[in-house]
Amino acid sequence: MTINQHELLSALVDGELQGDELEQALLLLDSDEQLRAQFQRYQYSSDVMHGNNYQHSHIDLTKGIAQALVSEQTFTKQGLIKHKAALLAFPKQFWTQAASLAMAASVGALAVVGITSQSQNQFIATSAVVASAAANNTGNGNRWTVGEPEIEDRLNTYLVDHNEYAGASGVFSYARLVSYEAGQ
Amino acid sequence: MSVDQELVERVQAGDKKAFDLLVMKYQQRIVHVITGFVHDPVEALDVAQEAFIKAYRAIPNFRGDSAFYTWLYRIAINTAKNYLTAAARRPPTMDVDASDATNFYDAPELKEFETPETSLMTAELEQAIHQVIQALPEDTATAIKLREFEGMSYEEIAQAMDCPIGTVRSRIFRAREAIDNRVSEMINQGEQQ
Repeated sequence: MTINQHELLSALVDGELQGDELEQALLLLDSDEQLRAQFQRYQYSSDVMHGNNYQHSHIDLTKGIAQALVSEQTFTKQGLIKHKAALLAFPKQFWTQAASLAMAASVGALAVVGITSQSQNQFIATSAVVASAAANNTGNGNRWTVGEPEIEDRLNTYLVDHNEYAGASGVFSYARLVSYEAGQ
Repeated sequence: MSVDQELVERVQAGDKKAFDLLVMKYQQRIVHVITGFVHDPVEALDVAQEAFIKAYRAIPNFRGDSAFYTWLYRIAINTAKNYLTAAARRPPTMDVDASDATNFYDAPELKEFETPETSLMTAELEQAIHQVIQALPEDTATAIKLREFEGMSYEEIAQAMDCPIGTVRSRIFRAREAIDNRVSEMINQGEQQ
């Protein structure tokens, strides 16, 4: 035993050792009974100074516990990672339930999309009927109230040329119906 | 990272020596806590041992959300209560907050279980320790007082005393040696009586 070793134990009681020094202290305590006793007395004095009142000044459970731990598994870093992964992993039942839920959600989504699509088709069909009715109402085939064929042609050409810029579906469908000539 | 946390990580990585050190460090406190529930001293030692073994088995689950001692303290309390239930004895209704468990002077529930002998012994020890500290050189006495009574770290003491951390460490060690000599004498006297 050297003064440095005792100093190391004193610093250990104070929780001031890290890394290599902690490793060194662990090795000393593992191999030297006198140093173990010394450390426990340092710890005891420190506890008394902190106001702790103990019935026993010389309790040593370490041997009994060490014996009991011989048969216990030694943890490994890999085992710890697996253990943590197992803690984080979801149970099998969760995946079964999640799959059922996903399937139900997909069916639900399809149903919603189907209904929306049908509504849209109905809207287009309705638009077509209205447009067709509007076209019929014109009787003579005039879609414009301009009364001048040249301007009417120019307006029709304008609509056809700008059809590609339609911002929303269904809007120009109606426009087409009202603007295209019967032959187009 | 605290020393306890580093020791826990070492245990989690397979270092049983690190657990041995944790036992050495906390066995007195844990036995004292358990004695508050299981009054028989021999039974209390058995329950304390069981609590430490449970703690070892559970240590892979310890994530450091609380201090190691707080976690260990809870295991000890549960082990003591389970022991009393298994022995068909009613566990005490009182409970002690984990934060109080670090200092028993703040835990009146545990003080109820002190005996006059232990109170006297503690009082005598405290008095002896104070006498030793008063007899120390001023720098040494200041260093140990700042550490033990003010709870300052070595770095904080070094700043307060305007000296290197290594000097603080050796001053505290010298103080602790002097205290240990006196405490050892008293313990030996107590054992001979």
